[in-house]
This record gives sequence, structure tokens and C-alpha cells, in this order.
Amino acid sequence: MIGIASAPVAALRRARDRANRAALRRRLEAAAWGKEMEAPVTLDGPFVAGVLEEVTAGMAVDSAALRRLVAVLMNSGAIDGAIERLGSAAVQPRVGAARTIGALRLHDAVSRVAPLLSARERPVSDAAARALGRIGGAQSANALLRAIHHGRVSRRFVAELARSAPDLFVESAFAESFRPGVRSALALAAGLRRRRTASTHLISLVQRGSSRERVIGCRALGWIGASTAIPVITAALNERDWKLRVSAAKALGALGAHSARPQLRYLFADRNPRVREAARLALRRIETHGS
Amino acid sequence: MQPRMQLGAWKSVPPRRPTLVARDRPADAGFARRPEPEAPSFRDMTSRMSTLERAPVFFAFQDSELRAIARRLTRTRVPAGEMIACQGEPGDSIFFIERGRCRVVVEKPPSLVTVSVLSEGEFFGEGACLLGRPHQASVYAQTDCHLLALDMPNLNAVLSSREENGTDELKRFAEQRFNLFADISVQATWGQLLQEATVVGVYSPKGGSGGTCISLNLVGALSRRYPGEVLLLDLDFPYSHSALLAGLLPSSCLARMGDVPAGSFEDVLLSAVLYDSGGPMILPGALRPEEADEVTPELITRAIAALRKTFRYIVVDLGVTITDSTLALFDLTQHIVLVAAPELSAVKSAADAVDILRQLGTPEDRLTVVLNHRSIKPAVGRAAVERALKRGVDLEIEFDGPRPDQAAVDGVLLSLSNPKSEIARGAEALAALLDFTHGRPRGGEDSKAGASEAVTGL
Repeated sequence: MIGIASAPVAALRRARDRANRAALRRRLEAAAWGKEMEAPVTLDGPFVAGVLEEVTAGMAVDSAALRRLVAVLMNSGAIDGAIERLGSAAVQPRVGAARTIGALRLHDAVSRVAPLLSARERPVSDAAARALGRIGGAQSANALLRAIHHGRVSRRFVAELARSAPDLFVESAFAESFRPGVRSALALAAGLRRRRTASTHLISLVQRGSSRERVIGCRALGWIGASTAIPVITAALNERDWKLRVSAAKALGALGAHSARPQLRYLFADRNPRVREAARLALRRIETHGS
Repeated sequence: MQPRMQLGAWKSVPPRRPTLVARDRPADAGFARRPEPEAPSFRDMTSRMSTLERAPVFFAFQDSELRAIARRLTRTRVPAGEMIACQGEPGDSIFFIERGRCRVVVEKPPSLVTVSVLSEGEFFGEGACLLGRPHQASVYAQTDCHLLALDMPNLNAVLSSREENGTDELKRFAEQRFNLFADISVQATWGQLLQEATVVGVYSPKGGSGGTCISLNLVGALSRRYPGEVLLLDLDFPYSHSALLAGLLPSSCLARMGDVPAGSFEDVLLSAVLYDSGGPMILPGALRPEEADEVTPELITRAIAALRKTFRYIVVDLGVTITDSTLALFDLTQHIVLVAAPELSAVKSAADAVDILRQLGTPEDRLTVVLNHRSIKPAVGRAAVERALKRGVDLEIEFDGPRPDQAAVDGVLLSLSNPKSEIARGAEALAALLDFTHGRPRGGEDSKAGASEAVTGL
């Protein structure tokens, strides 16, 4: 009541928006469950993409509900409109369109969304990356990898690469030649995916990679839980780079590596306080792991 | 209610505006440096189509549908020995084998059961991809493999446009294979669960390489670990002399058991086993050369089934020739030891034998190659042998002087009488390796830990 009294126009607008959101949500759900086959919905409102994401969040990509919803929106021309808005000059329409396409997992629109990864505006490129992550598949992952290769190394891109990459995509990408930094991103993505198939590549990265690649490789092996990497990671505890020592200690803690306890205790006397702290935490994790 | 328009009817509708990004925004110009993967060439498409056509689940698909799938496949190369799918992890792709062989393994600690060896035209990963279950088995590349991967979004994009839902057939197939692998892995571990014997075949493709000597001493080394629980089945036809070399005098053999009724088969078979005071037991395959033909694959299968219940290890000394009986034995063995001498003809024969064993689907970790030096100065070096075999030599036994010949004359086993001899040390290492791979804890002792120590101690 106080809010309405102090800013009545804004409060009314908010109330109207909530009502509109609720109405849109009901119509989209009705379309998804086959209760409404003619939905004159335009997907260009400010909140449409958010509502679509909420409605489709629990739907599997091959579910009948999602397919029905896509078919209804396609028949109404709403999806054509969204595709068209990807070429808009303004930021918000492009962001909304990318989110819409991602929410509907329109695999055939990957080639339309991919160019937005190079957009100067951060919200646009992030929305495009998120859309490709939701759509998934080799084409999406390849678009994200190419963007990373051309300098777009950001957490969002790496996270979405991890999400979209199909089996063996990251593993086979390790064998390709990329500019510096991409291999680190791949290692991070492999760690986030938590697939043991990447262990061999990550181990060779820890053995032969650059300083940064080795640091990330160690952490990724820890996340994956690759116990075969324990000797390699333990050897990294003696490296001069303190970041690598920290990373190796953390990885050994994550792996519950009992065999590395003497080497970790040795790090209690390390001259770097972060290394000492990491070793202490790792030992605590190993003890907890054992018990 | 069915939607009026099918999803597949819409294929990347061209936008009304000619460009997607504003003209004054050249930021994506750099992307041209790393171009999109090109559409597959005609030759590539032919290869993809022929791989897909071999997959039985796609028999009902029309050419246009197969072409649509083929276009969406991603080619991946996997070197031999690499893991392609990990048991228990989720998966989102189906892999078609374009070239090479893959081994499907169910890991049931402490054992590892190979449930299938897949070759060109076959596929895997459909269970995790379509049924949403974690991978039922791990898949390893047995040779260098060229795989064609079809991920879930691409699969849906193709199958959703079909009138009949193609995923149903694939899901049915995935379910069938899931049940089949589950059954095979359970059956294969029965032996382990029932504490049945591990059957080890010792095969030497060239006479005079020392196959019989190694099998006898291996039995001796295993008997030191498990007295009274190790048997040597001598199928080195036509002259099976293992018993004589161990100082035992045979009176009966497997060849004479063909007519024994099923009820008394096991008793008669065990009564033919020769016992040595040191521990090893020997069952001769045939006493006279003409009796070798009586040992049929059926008889071998019956005998192994009966003997597995009584012993812990059955070491089978196989002959030089590959007969039906040898092939039957290869099927029944859990491990094969290939003995080669560093001589030109022996290495050539060993390379052929390794190829044959690979074609028979013998997993790499179930094959051990032993290089047995029969002279002071070998004609072929280890590196050359490994190049010829296209794999590493697992164990090398140094020249042991006149000791093996003297032991044969004396009727003793070096692994029991002279543990410091090269042959005895080699046999001990082999026993440790077998114990490490197939051993099971026994009465509180950790045989695996002991075995690994023995292996690393060599």
C-alpha cells in the first residue's frame, strides 16, 4: 500500500506486467499441453523470453510438449519473427530473440544465433552463448569453440561450451591446433563436464602444457575424479609455480588421494601462505574422504 | 490434438532482412578465419551412408532420411586403447564405427567382463542417449577407430520429421541390448562368484619357443601360491610330454574320456589327473599321437566345465597348430599367454598369431606376450619384435643356460627347484601378473596387493 501511494504509476505498471506475464504463461502452457492450437502470440515483449524459459525449463528436448509448443509458435509466425529480430540493431530485441530460440531449443537456428557470439555488446553475446548452450549439439559447441578461438574467452562461453558439447567433442578438440588460451578453456570445459574420457588428454596437458594449462588441468582432473592422475598431480606439488602447487593440492584433496599425504604435509613449510592453506584444506578433505 | 504443422517442416526460414548483424558492426569478421565445417564431400557421404546402411535399426529408413542423418554426423578419430565411453557416466551421442574395432566392457570390481567386440558398421551409446540412463558399460577403442557421432539434438532434428517415430525402434533396440549386456556380464562373472577356476591358455605359434617349459613352470609358480589348486591341461598335440618333463608317469588322458557317461565324467576325469608332490597337477590330453583326434571341442568344453569347479587356475598348454580344439579353448580362456622366441620365423608366426587373436576379439589386457630367449645372443631385438607384433612385449625371460634342458632330464620344475633361475623368475612374474588380473582375495589375504608388489618388484 505504501509502495502504491508513493509511486502509483510504477506500481500499476508492475501489476499490469505481472498480469500479462501470467496470461502469457497460461497460453504457452495451454499450447504445450495441446489445449490451444491457435496461439496468436508475438514473442517480442520484454518479458516473453523469460516466461518461455520458465515454461520450457522442465521439458526434455524430445518431449511432445516442447514439440507441440514449437509447432504452435511456428504456425503463428512467432518464431519467424524471433529469427528476424536476431538481425535487429538494438540490443534488447536481439537478446530476447536469442533467449527465445534457446528456450525452444531450435536446433535449426544455430547458424542464425552463432554470429551473435561476436557481437560487441556483452548482453547479446552472452545471450547467444546461453542459447547455444541450451540447444546443445556439435554445431552449437563448434560455434562456441570458434568464438573462444577468436578471443572470446569468457566464463560464460566456457560454461556453455561444457553444456553444449556432445560426447567426445571436447576430447577430440584437444587434438586440434588452437591459439594459446583455447586449450585452457577446453580443459575447464572438460572438468565442468566431469567425463572420465577426457582424463588422458588432461593428464598429458598437466605434463606438457603451459603454466596456465597445467593449473587448470589439475583442477579439472580433480573435478572429474580421475584417480589415475594422482601420480602426475602429486609430481606437480614440487613445481616452482605456486599457482600450480595450489591447484595440485586442491585436486588431490578432491580426489581423496591418501598416497599423497606425505607430500601435502611437506607443503606445510611452503613459503607461500596460499599453498600452505591449500595443503591444509586438502589434507582435511582426504581425512574426511577416508572416514 | 496434433499440431497443424510438423516441426521438421520448418528448416531455417530465411530472414527477411539480408543480414543478421548490422552492417556497421564488423566484429564477427574474424570468425571467417576459422570457417564452419564444410558440408561432407560426395566420397565422404558415400562412406557415411555405407556405415549407416549396415546398422540394422536403419533398415526401415528411406534413403533421404539416411542422407539427412549422414549429413549431420561428426567424424571423430580415437587412437587404440582410448576410452570412448565410461560406465556409469551420462551420454548424449550415438557412435557408429566407420573403421576399427571397439571393446565393450562391464566393470564389476574386481573383474572386468568384455561383453562385446564391435566392428565396422556397428554402433553404441544408444542406451545412454535414448534411454537417458548412464552408460551400462565402458567402451574402449581396440584399434585406431574412426567414429561417426550423432548427437541428441541432431538425432531429434532428423527423427522428429519422420512420419513413424524412428526413436521408438532405436529405443527398443537399446532396451534389448541393455538386457543382453546385463545377462552376459552376470553369466561371465558366475565363475568368479562361484569361485571357479581361471583358464589360462599358453600358446606358442612356433615349435621350440619354450611354450611347454613356460606352462610347466607357470603351473609350478602358481602351485607355490595355491598348492593343490592349479592344473596343467596338456593339449600340445600330437606329442603331449608335459607329464614326463615334470617327472610324472601318465596312465590315462583326456582323449579316453569321450565315451564316459555324463554322470561319472567328472570323477573319471579327476582320477586321470597326475599329482606331483610339489603341488602342480597335470592332465595329459593324449598319450599316443593317434589319440589326439579324439579330443574334440565338445570334449574340451565338458572337461573345462568340470575342472573349473575343482581348481583355482587351469593352465592349458596349446599346440602349435590352430585347430578346432584350439579355437574352442580360446573361447573358454580368460587369459592367453603368447610365447615367442626372438628368432625371425618365430616373430613372424607370433605377429600372425596376435592378428588372429585380435580378430577373435581377445581383449588386449587379456593377452600377455612373453619373449623367451633361447640363446645368449638373440637374432632379433626386443624393439624389432615389438614393431613386428605392433604391441609391447609384456614379459622378457632372459637366457637361462643349460638349466631348462637339465631340469627336463631330471624331471623337475625350475620354478620349484631353483627359484633364482631366469625361467623361474619369469614364471613367477607371469603368475603375479595373472594373480593381479584374475586373482581374488582368499581368507583375508590381499592377493592383489601381493601380486602388484611382485610385479613392481621385478
